[in-house]
Amino acid sequence: MITLYPKRLFKAPLDAQCITPDIFAEKPVSKIAELQIWEGNQKRTLDQLFKIEYNAKNQSEEMTIRILGDVRKARRIGAKMSTGKIIIDGDTGMHLGEEMQGGTIVVAGSAGSWTGCMMKKGIIQIKGDAGDYIGAAYRGSTRGMNGGEIVIQGNAGNEVGCFMRNGLIRIDGNVGQFVGIHMRNGTIIVQGNSEGRTGAQMSGGKIVVCGHTPSILPTFTVDSIKSKVKVNGEIVKGPFYKFVGDLAEDGNGKLFVSQIQNPHLKFYEKYLE
Amino acid sequence: MPVVSHVTCPVCGSFCDDIEVIVKNNVITDVRNACAVGAAKFLDYANHRNAKPLVRKNGELVEASWDEAVRKSAEILIDATYPLLYGWSSTSCEAIRVGLELAEEVGGVIDNTSTICHGPSILSIQDVGIASCTLGQLRHRADLIFYWGCNPWSAHPRHVERYTTFSNGRFQKSTWRAHVSRLGGILSKKRLRRAINLVLGRDVFATPEISRELPYNMFQKKRKMVVVDVRKTHSAEAADYFLQVEPNKDYELLQAFRMLIADEELDVDHVAGVPVETLNEIADVMIGCKLGVIFFGLGLTMTEGKIRNIDAAISLVRDLNQRTKFLIMPMRGHFNVAGANVVFTWQTGYPFAVDFSQGYPQYNPGETSVIDILCREEADAGLVIASDPVAHFPKKAAQNLVKNPLIVIDPQTTPTSLMADVVFPSTFVGIETEGTAYRMDHVPLPLKKIVEPPSNCLSDVEILQRILHEVRRIRSKRK
Repeated sequence: MITLYPKRLFKAPLDAQCITPDIFAEKPVSKIAELQIWEGNQKRTLDQLFKIEYNAKNQSEEMTIRILGDVRKARRIGAKMSTGKIIIDGDTGMHLGEEMQGGTIVVAGSAGSWTGCMMKKGIIQIKGDAGDYIGAAYRGSTRGMNGGEIVIQGNAGNEVGCFMRNGLIRIDGNVGQFVGIHMRNGTIIVQGNSEGRTGAQMSGGKIVVCGHTPSILPTFTVDSIKSKVKVNGEIVKGPFYKFVGDLAEDGNGKLFVSQIQNPHLKFYEKYLE
Repeated sequence: MPVVSHVTCPVCGSFCDDIEVIVKNNVITDVRNACAVGAAKFLDYANHRNAKPLVRKNGELVEASWDEAVRKSAEILIDATYPLLYGWSSTSCEAIRVGLELAEEVGGVIDNTSTICHGPSILSIQDVGIASCTLGQLRHRADLIFYWGCNPWSAHPRHVERYTTFSNGRFQKSTWRAHVSRLGGILSKKRLRRAINLVLGRDVFATPEISRELPYNMFQKKRKMVVVDVRKTHSAEAADYFLQVEPNKDYELLQAFRMLIADEELDVDHVAGVPVETLNEIADVMIGCKLGVIFFGLGLTMTEGKIRNIDAAISLVRDLNQRTKFLIMPMRGHFNVAGANVVFTWQTGYPFAVDFSQGYPQYNPGETSVIDILCREEADAGLVIASDPVAHFPKKAAQNLVKNPLIVIDPQTTPTSLMADVVFPSTFVGIETEGTAYRMDHVPLPLKKIVEPPSNCLSDVEILQRILHEVRRIRSKRK
């Protein structure tokens, strides 16, 4: 296991895409210390910014990197990683695990925006809050998250799962607007409340909102009331209104919204009689 | 008296090119054809000028030589780890080009004012594309004009007169006569209502209810103007129909229109506070037009939903194009904000929020846009040109901007220049300096030099080139 301690608080953003098990693997500590990292417009080496500790005792088969401290300015940690584990005991910055192809990332604090964007496989677990565009695509791209699992135990921002193509996003707290916008496939489950516009312009996939949502977009049509929903083999108890949309995109996405938490949606029941 | 004709007006995105300016002894004495905003700029530009370069010493801005100010600013930029270069939309394309070179040289983040106005429009255009044209096409052909979330009567005062409903095109006639007669009608209606309210003892100042019913002329085969807004603006009074929506509900409305145009049924009775029957009638008018256009402003880009509002608006236009011809165009604010996007794009590949910190351009608004960088306190120096962020940015961003060393290039004294560490007095592009700028429809037009600048002022291009040369000189010396 390799442990990194930030030597100071950072002000300018760090481009820390070198911090992945794939790059660290089979390198001696001296080589890891020489890895290049950008702080703003300055090129630095990893040991200029972090104290690096190598612990051979706990060496298991899996390569593990542990970061102890506040790295909220560090971006792209775990980018393109395919194996191993990253544990961050603190907050972290944007693009955590972007284009991830395998392995696990666990964050004890909060994460920034674009967490797990375009990821293909693997698990990201965040115990705090996360920013916007979780599991999304890049600007101008239509290829969002394509597999894997993101679990956020706190709240998330807007546009969770934008252009999502597959995989699972689980949010235990509340979310902002536009959950699953442009999503094509995959599953998003929100245990808390949503700020609305859920499933905007989605063409497929499944979104479950267990809390309150201010309104349903006019482009969704009510389909039925379901007593439970199956998410990734697990049963979530309802009852739920099931909506289908987004019809403006000729979509066939499924949106489940809790019936008990949303009494203001009762008028939809007249279409079910 | 010498009259300078065909002058372009360096104020708003309409960038009118038919202004006549009367000059006497190097002083502008009169302006013809310009709107009130344009005329005010031509006649009053000389007030509150920065006269000499200023440098902050012991907490106070004191006069300095050009060499000293240039050296100080070059040092600020070289020593910074993450400098910001912001503004650009009210200067010429030539200056923007030099600015980009400077940003690359110092490894900074360069951003223009689209980041706080039409940045979301650009993001959605990158997502979904855009069906647009030049304003000349609309002047001659458009018969259904939507102004959505914008108020051209006040913000682009000659837009309606030059390019849309009140302009006399080759195939579409102006409707200003109908507007004048309707104004008469509106006035007499107002008087009558006031008289009735007085007689019946009702509240005279109560706002009248807005009728949702579409007037007869909306179904006629002539030019029509529809304003969609949250309040009844002057533009809404000039329109044939005013569609009042609930604030922050434009996304729902646009998506509902998309459904209705595709002949789908809605499960709800009202969308954004408008009955679905009314929306159905408007959708019919949209489908029935020969050439329609949606002009949208910050009412769409900067309200809840932001990029997704534009996403829906462009998708609506795409859907409409399967039934008739429809176009969409953002109402750009500054006279050269479109030019800033164009020059940024041809130099770096990206229209705004470009990060050169790693030596090559990177772009991701939200990450590399100036407001976000300032709110996260990442920058450690700033250069502001032709803009006044201290007056316009959110408080936290403005506070973090002035905490760091700040260089300001501006012809006038602004709140930002008062907070700066180095101030350069520049000339007014379009009045004292020549240049090029892009109109809102991306048509490049020349900016004219009408009068001689004050002796101590230099053009933006010259100031930026001096800073760039100084940066390179100090760099090579340090190496």
